[in-house]
Amino acid sequence: MAEVEETIKRIQSQKGVQGIIIVNAEGIPIKSTLDNSSTVQYAGNVHQLLMKARGVVRDIDPQNDLTFLRVRSKKNEIMIAPDKDYFLIVIQNPTE
Amino acid sequence: MSNTTVKQKRTALKVVKSSKTLNVSSGVFRVNQSITKTINPSISGKSFSSASDSKVLDKSLAQTPKHTVQVFDEHGQDVTPHPLYNPDPGVLQPKQGKIFPAHDTSWTTMTDFPSVAFQTTNASFTGPFTKSFFGSVSASRTSQTTESVTDETKELLVKPDLSSSLSDVQARREEVKEQVREDIMDRVVDSYLTETETIWLLDIPAVSVSEDSGDAEAVKERNNAYTELCKNRHGNDKYVERSMQTFNDAPKTKEVQSDSITMVDKAVMSTTWDMYDSFCNKGDVSENTVVSAEGNKATVPDSSSMSHLLNPSGPDQSMSVFSTTSTVSGSSARLEKMTCVLPVEEEPDLELILQSDKFKQDLAVMERVVLANIFQPKLAAYRQLPVIEDPDCVQTQIEEESWTEQSKNSLSPFLEHLWVFKCELTKGRNVSSMTWNKKNPDLLAVGYGQLDFKDQKPGLVCCWSLKNPTWPDRIFHCESGVTALDFSACNANQLSVGLYDGTIAIYNVQTTEQTPIIDSSDCTNMHACPVWQLRWVDHDTGLAGEDKGEMLISVSGDGRISKWIHYKGLECVDLMKLKSPNMIVNNQRWNPKILSLAPGLCFDFHPNDSKIYLAGTEEGHIHKCSYSYNEQFLETYKAHTGPVYKVTWSPFCPDVFLSCSSDWTIYLWRQELSKPVLGFTSGQKVVFDIMWSPHCATVFGAVREGKVEIWDLRVSSLDPTIVSASSPGVNPTALLFTPETDCVLVGDSEGQVTVYKLKNLPAGDSTQVEVLEDVIQTTLSSQHTLGKTDRDA
Repeated sequence: MAEVEETIKRIQSQKGVQGIIIVNAEGIPIKSTLDNSSTVQYAGNVHQLLMKARGVVRDIDPQNDLTFLRVRSKKNEIMIAPDKDYFLIVIQNPTE
Repeated sequence: MSNTTVKQKRTALKVVKSSKTLNVSSGVFRVNQSITKTINPSISGKSFSSASDSKVLDKSLAQTPKHTVQVFDEHGQDVTPHPLYNPDPGVLQPKQGKIFPAHDTSWTTMTDFPSVAFQTTNASFTGPFTKSFFGSVSASRTSQTTESVTDETKELLVKPDLSSSLSDVQARREEVKEQVREDIMDRVVDSYLTETETIWLLDIPAVSVSEDSGDAEAVKERNNAYTELCKNRHGNDKYVERSMQTFNDAPKTKEVQSDSITMVDKAVMSTTWDMYDSFCNKGDVSENTVVSAEGNKATVPDSSSMSHLLNPSGPDQSMSVFSTTSTVSGSSARLEKMTCVLPVEEEPDLELILQSDKFKQDLAVMERVVLANIFQPKLAAYRQLPVIEDPDCVQTQIEEESWTEQSKNSLSPFLEHLWVFKCELTKGRNVSSMTWNKKNPDLLAVGYGQLDFKDQKPGLVCCWSLKNPTWPDRIFHCESGVTALDFSACNANQLSVGLYDGTIAIYNVQTTEQTPIIDSSDCTNMHACPVWQLRWVDHDTGLAGEDKGEMLISVSGDGRISKWIHYKGLECVDLMKLKSPNMIVNNQRWNPKILSLAPGLCFDFHPNDSKIYLAGTEEGHIHKCSYSYNEQFLETYKAHTGPVYKVTWSPFCPDVFLSCSSDWTIYLWRQELSKPVLGFTSGQKVVFDIMWSPHCATVFGAVREGKVEIWDLRVSSLDPTIVSASSPGVNPTALLFTPETDCVLVGDSEGQVTVYKLKNLPAGDSTQVEVLEDVIQTTLSSQHTLGKTDRDA
């Protein structure tokens, strides 16, 4: 448990990381380092994107599954690690 | 041609005819305009007063094939009706009943008549062969019509048409015939006459019978009988009038009320993976069907996810929560509606997630991804990939300039600083040894421990991954300082660690457990002094059975070189005892009772012949030994005046080796010569570590107190090619070349391992073995000629 906390802290302290959000399977954010409104926004939108992406991957080959999703935008990069019970979102701006 | 004008009593309309060309199947009959006549039908009687009458008439007129009739009503509007029926010219006319019945029933038949007339005229057109037949028909028609027409107008109407048409036909036929004969004079044309079957078009039986017909009498009788009957009905008893009435009950309203039927929209999107999932999970349906009320199907979590959820300690009742909430596998739009059966269990939800192994893995991956973003240019440089700039990045100009300046200005070789492996754990520790994993070239093991006898503190072994330079992947705490490390080549996950207290431990780096697989502390023969070097050596060249395979060899400060066997605990067998040659000074034969062993500091097995190895001692001697002969050395090389810290064979030249010592010198030896060929000194600093470059035979690196040097013998054997000074107070203590790329790692006394890239070092196409040989040869020959045996700077 402490290890997990430490790792989260380490990620948070890396250069350019804007926030970490952990969302449970229902789409409710359970842990976040951002403010509430942003968290809820990210959680909701990312969830939909994730479902779509997973659908894409599995449609092409049902035995395949999504393991990681990165969305690079002009200002930052959103990295999502999905799972059955949760998903982990990290927002980073690597060039700041 | 007779043109008769019809006098009209009351002009209701005016009929204008125009010429028209008619193409008939059997030939071309040109309608002569001269045929046109004005027919002003007289309209009399009530039956013709309405507009519809005019239409009827118009139809009759319009349907004559000869002229196109345009009808204008009293207002002058064109009310020319379009023909309803365009009969096929070759069609025989149907059998006709009475053409002109009584007025009141005559409308349909009125239309009949003109069509008949049309047909007759048409029929008459169809062919010259049928002329006689139709002529008689038409004649009979006309006779009939004249008989039955009560209205003189109709009669007048019909007759001229027919007669004119007939005459026209005849005329036309004559003309056509002549034309035809001229054209086909010589041709013999076969014509076939067939009679089509009778086609009934309309048959309305007449209601009235003519007086002349046969059954007129019968009809009359029947009529009479009927009238008699009607008369008799009046006062007859047989016929009674009766009426009935039905009751009209009073109406009563009744109401029924039912529950409102709620309509729910349900949508299912069947995707490929949905079907696959349900097919796979068909057999696993268990109690988890409770929750998926609105789910597409009874989705059940994979048994794998269930099992790994069960592993971490968690209350049992929360399991059901997890299983229910994890049925989200498919539905895309239904997230908001997912119900949690036991809402009380929200708390453990978070805990369980955070403790699950999968989450840790994901975190680790995420960390690496984040770091990859940060370190991308450095890693690309490391891996010799082109460094691509981030197109979206707002580059800090200054930083970029300084970087490029440095690289542009100096075309001379230099060390480009890439990154540093460091974390707070390793702060202040001295890096004593570094080694690459044999299987995974991205994995680096670094041992931290003090090299001298003072300031001894518990040691640390960190396994760093290139993908995460900020935190080691594995951390092993050891009781005493780490002095030697080596990864096994056979079992790539085994890392042997030599400690300052003489213990040898083997760790399995796949786990994060702190305890080693095996420890030599139980061994009776364990080393009593620090283990200075460890090596996994693969003996596969023609040895006895039990000696095959990989063995762990160690050299320690108690003067023994031992071979360790992992068999129910570590057991060691001494390969060699490093006897101090001082004993021979006494001019006595070696006395086995007085064992004086020189502490061994390093050793190196020959890369090609694994039976021969070199060992360096604290006295400055280098002994060449044989594996199978553990009593005496094969040869001794004496040149150093201080402890030999490292001895290393050249990976390319089989007979050449390097040695470094604390007497500020590095010597290059040839195996067969007892004196060094070349010596390298720059400054009066202790040389801690040297290593040959794995890429180029003439390059080697050296680490001195305060400096990192890269020597290239092609360029110069007097001065190092690259000298990189480290920060004051920090001494680089370990050196490692990367086996695949052109980078070098330097570990220092502050616990940092810096990665440098060798820039602008002349890279040869081959391994430059010949160059090295040349250099040695020239040196030897020069030595020979000058009579010098060794060189000192």
